Amino acid sequence: MLLRVLTRLAVLLASLAVSSLVVFAFMAVLPGDPARVALGVNASEAAVQQLRSDFGLDRPLPTQYLEWVRGLLTLDLGESYISRAAIAPQVLDRAQVTLWLVGAGMVVAVLVAVPLGSLAALTSRSPLGVLLSAVSQLGVAVPAFLAGILLVAVFAVGLGWLPASGWTPPAQDPGRFLSQLVLPASSLGLVQGAVLARYVRSAVLEVLGEDYLRTARAKGLRPGPALVRHGLRNAAVPVVTVLGLQLATLLVGAVVVERVFVVPGLGSLLLDAVANRDLVVIQDVVMLLVAAVLVINFVVDLLYLAIDPRLRTAR
Amino acid sequence: MSGRGSRRGGAAVLVGGALVALVVLMALLSFLWTPHDPTLVDARVRLQGPSPAYWLGTDRFGRDLVSQLMVGARTTVYVGLVAVGIAALVGVPLGVLAAMAPRWLGELLMRANDLLLAFPALLLAVMLAAVLGAGTGVAMVAIGVSTVPSFARVVRAGSLQVLRSDFVLAARAAGRRPWGVAVRHVLPNVAGLVIVQASVAFAIAVLAEAALSFLGFGTPPPTPSWGRMLQESQSLLFTDPRLAVVPGVAVAAAVLGFNLLGDGLRDRLDPRLEARR
Amino acid sequence: MRRLVGALVLLGLLAVAGCSAGAGTADQGEQTASLSVGLVAEPANLDFTTTDGAAIPQALLYNVYETLVKVDGEGELVPSLARSWEVSEDRRTYTFELVEGATFTDGAPFTAEDAVFSIERVQTEWTTSLAAAMDVVESATAVSPTTLRVELSRPSNDWLYRMTTRIGAMFSRTGVDALGTDPVGTGPYRFGSWNRGDSITLLRNDGYWGSAPQFGEVVLRYFRDPTALNNALLSGTIDVIGTVQAPESLEQFTSDPRFQVIEGTTTAEVVLSFNRSRAPLDDLDVRRAIKHAIDHRALVDTCWAGRGTLIGSMVPPSDPWYTDLTGRYPYDPDRARELLEGTDATSSTLRLRVPNLPYAVACGQVVESQLEQVGLDVQMDTLEFPAAWLQTVYTDADYDMSIIAHVEPRDLRAVFGDPDYYTRYGEPEFVEHLDAADAGTEAEQTEQLRLAAEMLADDAAADWLFLLPNLVVAEQGITGLPQNAVSESFDLSALGRS
Repeated sequence: MLLRVLTRLAVLLASLAVSSLVVFAFMAVLPGDPARVALGVNASEAAVQQLRSDFGLDRPLPTQYLEWVRGLLTLDLGESYISRAAIAPQVLDRAQVTLWLVGAGMVVAVLVAVPLGSLAALTSRSPLGVLLSAVSQLGVAVPAFLAGILLVAVFAVGLGWLPASGWTPPAQDPGRFLSQLVLPASSLGLVQGAVLARYVRSAVLEVLGEDYLRTARAKGLRPGPALVRHGLRNAAVPVVTVLGLQLATLLVGAVVVERVFVVPGLGSLLLDAVANRDLVVIQDVVMLLVAAVLVINFVVDLLYLAIDPRLRTAR
Repeated sequence: MSGRGSRRGGAAVLVGGALVALVVLMALLSFLWTPHDPTLVDARVRLQGPSPAYWLGTDRFGRDLVSQLMVGARTTVYVGLVAVGIAALVGVPLGVLAAMAPRWLGELLMRANDLLLAFPALLLAVMLAAVLGAGTGVAMVAIGVSTVPSFARVVRAGSLQVLRSDFVLAARAAGRRPWGVAVRHVLPNVAGLVIVQASVAFAIAVLAEAALSFLGFGTPPPTPSWGRMLQESQSLLFTDPRLAVVPGVAVAAAVLGFNLLGDGLRDRLDPRLEARR
Repeated sequence: MRRLVGALVLLGLLAVAGCSAGAGTADQGEQTASLSVGLVAEPANLDFTTTDGAAIPQALLYNVYETLVKVDGEGELVPSLARSWEVSEDRRTYTFELVEGATFTDGAPFTAEDAVFSIERVQTEWTTSLAAAMDVVESATAVSPTTLRVELSRPSNDWLYRMTTRIGAMFSRTGVDALGTDPVGTGPYRFGSWNRGDSITLLRNDGYWGSAPQFGEVVLRYFRDPTALNNALLSGTIDVIGTVQAPESLEQFTSDPRFQVIEGTTTAEVVLSFNRSRAPLDDLDVRRAIKHAIDHRALVDTCWAGRGTLIGSMVPPSDPWYTDLTGRYPYDPDRARELLEGTDATSSTLRLRVPNLPYAVACGQVVESQLEQVGLDVQMDTLEFPAAWLQTVYTDADYDMSIIAHVEPRDLRAVFGDPDYYTRYGEPEFVEHLDAADAGTEAEQTEQLRLAAEMLADDAAADWLFLLPNLVVAEQGITGLPQNAVSESFDLSALGRS
């Protein structure tokens, strides 16, 4: 068991190292001189040279790479060539926003998926079950940004219940923070909830067929309460792992949703950095997102090990 | 129970297949005929409602919505085909190789494959767009590469199963080379899995293309694309929702079609799953 | 299971938030002190001495930074930090009497020494091309703390006008260390905070020498997406849309009694530029054919909802030397085909490379469609703005046609005066007209610039699609909004709520 955990950890570290190389190499082959890009078309050659040496762009690539990795590890990412502002606090600030959004999206997804999926499983042989399955199929087919646009049209502009866009840090004004969180989190979470509902449904169906539940029902419990009392916990095992994998999807989906709702998270930072060719920021944000996905997958792997005893020895 | 399952799978294949066929037919027909030139701007017929001349009306440039929808289907199918093609061409050999190679190499390949999972289509597209500029090509490559891992995983699992079967063990005992085994036994037996995966991947590609076009990293104007039609419709959402509904329904129908087709085929191909229902 | 319970608790919170948002207008009392304005382009940093673009002066000029003289809504020069000024007989010496009691937000008083410092700094430290307008200054001297004398190397009508733009901004001698993140000026507002990717907050400058603004706080909120900007106003997230970028959706505001729509003029010419340095647009016939092939009225109707003024050259109707040249190239597809006959334009693909800005993408599609009607093969590329467009079109001139709005006032010279600029014009005769206008009397200036504008049209140096309208939407009751956008600034100083 310990050996397995250590192996997974080694794989994680190796993956992080390789992906950092990939991201760095990618940015290194970019056409154009980042210093020239930063200073604009009217800058003198001397000013460009100055910036190159200020930011260490004249050093050999391996040195630059090691410096960058050291910066990542110590959270000292230097300054952006474009905005002349320190990158690390900015990235951390934005990451917080995205985490809130993704976390809330996850909550919405679970809240949609568990009841919808369970009900679909319990009624799987009735028209209602078929209808519920169809609804979740349709939900999967709607792009998150379209869901976002529709939610804004109805709840923000049509009914005026919620703001259409914007962001307030929770510490500043918790009420406003929550009201602005609802719509983006919903558009992110509803679609993922539809995906998740299908897993919940098949997990619950499987549990419903198990002996202990049949026993419980034989003792006179109706299917619903029987499921809640005995079954959900067991159905949760595969669902939780899917949830972990979906976290990665949500993280990327947030990029699009942030654009629709003008939320200043990592996605907006990334898209703005692309428009301004703020290469260092692109590199840092991409690396952060990639690392996040890798770590999430690692944790899901560990969960597998912890939850399913068969996996501890098999494979 | 099993009869019911297969009938349901059948319905899914039927509905999914019909939707997919509709999209493909629209795309094919657009090469031969569209009611109007889809990119012809005509100020005199701006924002018209449905009429005999314009079945679904026109957009704010006076362009015919039906024609745009048809050529947009072409873009969708094109992007999907190339993206899924890339994913299958890389993912299938990778999966077979990982299954047949020595254990350590197989593990290594799958780890490398997992690494790709950390680069979703959107991130790849953004990185590529920063280097090459946004465009349909960038979108297709990004979507394709990011879909490789799912193919490799499915194919590897399928291949491992085939490799354990009696006829393969017999072929191997008869001294057939691994290469020959792969071509003659493994590939034909995982073909079904690949088709199912391709259908699901196609659905994902349609969604990804729409999202990328929405962000401006996909199909550039004026080439009609459902994602861009959606993006352009936004500013008129309250005055003319028809402009958003038409491409929105198209995207949803295409995704639904490919998903249903994939699910249905999976149910048919995998009797174990079917019994579970 | 515990996780699910936690999730339920969170949803409960969300539901509560949903309700409270409905009642969220309760903080109306605070609203009178704060105003939120929605704009489109967020600055990359706050230093316009080294960074080009319209976004920084839009936010800071006249609000945080002040100039000696400024332009009012009608385009007239009016006093600002200079109470008055005198021009010598030979029109080479300007003497400014400065206001007393103005201080910078870092506490330092504003004196003639600061004005000298600011003018000289343009010549030595600024890296943007606009700084060239200060080259004509021979010397700047502080005669007394409130008297500034500027000597020009030659008479220049243009110089004083340029002093109303960003290059005329007055900086503190002790406040230029962190221009990118912490601007220091004498204006009615001081820089408060910058929430990158979201908003810039300006606070009332309580030590302001002039009449204090009504709002204690103005938040400039940035929206890349024009629809998100509209929705923000519709749902009450902002109070004003500074520049409407989706005029086709204006109807939802004009028909709603909650809002007022202001429509005025700007100095932003939407230019369809021609690259004269390479075939086939080096051919005058091809350029003229393109101008005949474009139906300008239909173009404005489709891509900017019919709002905007047709112009025939690089001069807006608000300039004294405007002449109506819109009839010079009437829409005539047959004439266009005739002109194209025998040129190599019919056998090549023209690259129309536009920035990914709403007006450029919309109008580009119309231009492409109209040019294809006369048999031209046009390939439209959308380039990410600013970086990719600046590199490809502006720096490398790797394009045949492009579309961009030149927003600077009186920009004949800036856009067409230099053969190395991306428009590749700068004909010697044209520059002679500009020089004569700059050095001459008022009548001569008008005459020469008129000739220059006509020369641009005759040479088909570019096509002028239309003049962008100034479209502002605001809640009813907000006053002091600019009717016309004739300067680089979004002037917030007069804003109020009735």
